Amino acid sequence: MSSPFAINGGACVAMVGKDCVAIACDLRLGLQALTVSNDFPKIFPFGSSTYLGLTGLATDVATVSELFRFKVNMYRLREERDIGPQTFANLVSSSLYERRFGPWFVSPVVAGINEKTGKPFICGFDSIGCIDFAKDFIVSGTASDQLFGTCEGLWEPDLEPEDLFETISQALLNAVDRDALSGWGAHVYIIEKDKVTKRLLKGRQD
Amino acid sequence: MASISSFAMPSEAPTYSFAAAQSASGQPRQHGFYPYTDNGGSTLGISGDSFTILAGDTRSTSGYNINTRYAPKLFKLGGSGPNHEGSKIVLSVVGFAADGNALQERLDTIVKMYKYQHGKDISVHACAQRLSHILYNKRFFPYYVHAILGGIDEEGKGALYSYDPVGSYEREQCRAAGAAASLIMPFLDNQVNLKNQYDPNSGPGLEKVQRVPKPLDRTTVEEIVRDAFTSAVERHIEVGDGLQMMIITKDGIEEVYTPLKQD
Amino acid sequence: MEVLLGITGKDYCIIAASKAAMRGATILKASDDKTRSLNKNTLMAYSGEAGDTVNFAEYIQANIQLYSMRNASDLSPYEVSSFVRSELAKALRSRNPYNVNLLLGGFDSIKEKPELYWIDYLASSAKVPYAAHGYAQYYCLSLLDKHHHPDIDFEQGMKILRMCTDELKRRLPIDFKGVVVKVIDKDGVRELEYIDDKQILAP
Repeated sequence: MSSPFAINGGACVAMVGKDCVAIACDLRLGLQALTVSNDFPKIFPFGSSTYLGLTGLATDVATVSELFRFKVNMYRLREERDIGPQTFANLVSSSLYERRFGPWFVSPVVAGINEKTGKPFICGFDSIGCIDFAKDFIVSGTASDQLFGTCEGLWEPDLEPEDLFETISQALLNAVDRDALSGWGAHVYIIEKDKVTKRLLKGRQD
Repeated sequence: MASISSFAMPSEAPTYSFAAAQSASGQPRQHGFYPYTDNGGSTLGISGDSFTILAGDTRSTSGYNINTRYAPKLFKLGGSGPNHEGSKIVLSVVGFAADGNALQERLDTIVKMYKYQHGKDISVHACAQRLSHILYNKRFFPYYVHAILGGIDEEGKGALYSYDPVGSYEREQCRAAGAAASLIMPFLDNQVNLKNQYDPNSGPGLEKVQRVPKPLDRTTVEEIVRDAFTSAVERHIEVGDGLQMMIITKDGIEEVYTPLKQD
Repeated sequence: MEVLLGITGKDYCIIAASKAAMRGATILKASDDKTRSLNKNTLMAYSGEAGDTVNFAEYIQANIQLYSMRNASDLSPYEVSSFVRSELAKALRSRNPYNVNLLLGGFDSIKEKPELYWIDYLASSAKVPYAAHGYAQYYCLSLLDKHHHPDIDFEQGMKILRMCTDELKRRLPIDFKGVVVKVIDKDGVRELEYIDDKQILAP
């Protein structure tokens, strides 16, 4: 329990659909078994259709998200355009590897749609930046085992946006209900070519 | 996952299979006896209106090694002869296989003795309580297993009991145990007990009412079990090779074996 | 056994901190003030390791005041919380991290809303409607869960604070010598007289 990844708790998942992607997180912030806040989102937007989910040690979630806010703003100033998900994924990877021997205790997830090709893109990382490219879904956080089970059971290829929303929501909600350190509601983003829908889900309050 | 980290990765240099031979003579060495190992695998049980299904994969592991691709974790209790004819109760055990086998033999004998002494079959709820006592009797040197017991109760309804290693037990609609329990259980909550599912016609927002779970039919349950295991096989290295299912009805036990991925 | 409590209401934020200064099991002082006002509309309460707390608080206080002097305007509570968190996070991965837990109460004069930030020694920061640090969390958060609403008036807020301090007196094994109570609202920070001489016994 003294693993830095499991002090504050939290869960995050991303999924691919037909010409769309979804990313969702829970809202709990805890200190071991004690819940401190039930409004601590773990997904951060970086440009029009690039999203980053961060689970792990809450202080590093905040630090790393702010670090990338800085880096992405600098990118935007230099390039005069938004960063794409693939480029951002490589930025995340190299930034995390900079701290190879004293890592940020986070498990990031990136989701987005490539502006040029219109293709959905998701990937996950370990805490030192090894990228896990996936065609289906990426999970992270203290409920990752549970999320693997629900996602593997519920996900299917080429889901339409509304069906993808239902799938990712059910996968997350049911997974966090079997994890004591995650839950207390959720944020779900459905990302389409030129539309992003953010929904707030009420989950079990225990 | 604990079994993974405690297992030594193979090294380049040839070594002895026992650790003691490696240390130089004259140096102090520590001896240890570890009475438990984890043999991986997963089991699952779901009860219906007139049947109970128990399922388990047939892989047996130690660390990253596969001992065998066919080691059943499901046992018929109290039947006669080598084929357990007339048996109506199934025990599934997952965890430490040696303890699982010892436990199964003990309970099987007890169920048989019950019939010999009383001239009738033991009821599932009596068998369930007896199993609890067996486990608790070894409270301070437990059988290292998660047991699930399935059968048909006295009203003809499907009965399913699940246990912790020291005998705390409960009758439930469904339960997953073993290495992939954490993967399978939330899926079962969703598909069997309809958790987090609301009636779409029941008004907006917080006025929505939960869908009420009703007993499932046999084909649906079999489908859920298969889905649960194929999912677990995909993501857990200790689960795979074969799926053994036992369907208990008032007419007896039907056994089905289907292959799973061997990677 | 240090107590930090924070409650926000309709247009105010109450911060309470225990008056006992302790070293081990010994109480050195019964009139300690574990708070520092950082600028006109933010107050920081701190607990943790003896030397670290005051050192860190005064460092933060000096820097926030320097900002106010240089720019002739105060940082908003959110901006202060961001600065405090980043300093704490920087220290966390240095040779000598600060072992300090903080509550940051403030009043945002632009949004005209009170704000409260919960920050622990790991520099985890969360904006919350009510908060506590240390053992007070285990005794008071349940009370606050039940009785707190975002738009409670000042009297109601003080009533809930009284319930919290009474519960702490009832349940904590060591006397924390009562609390210093300060309020932050549109007029700034002010200390409140808090009568606390009633003995409360466990049932």
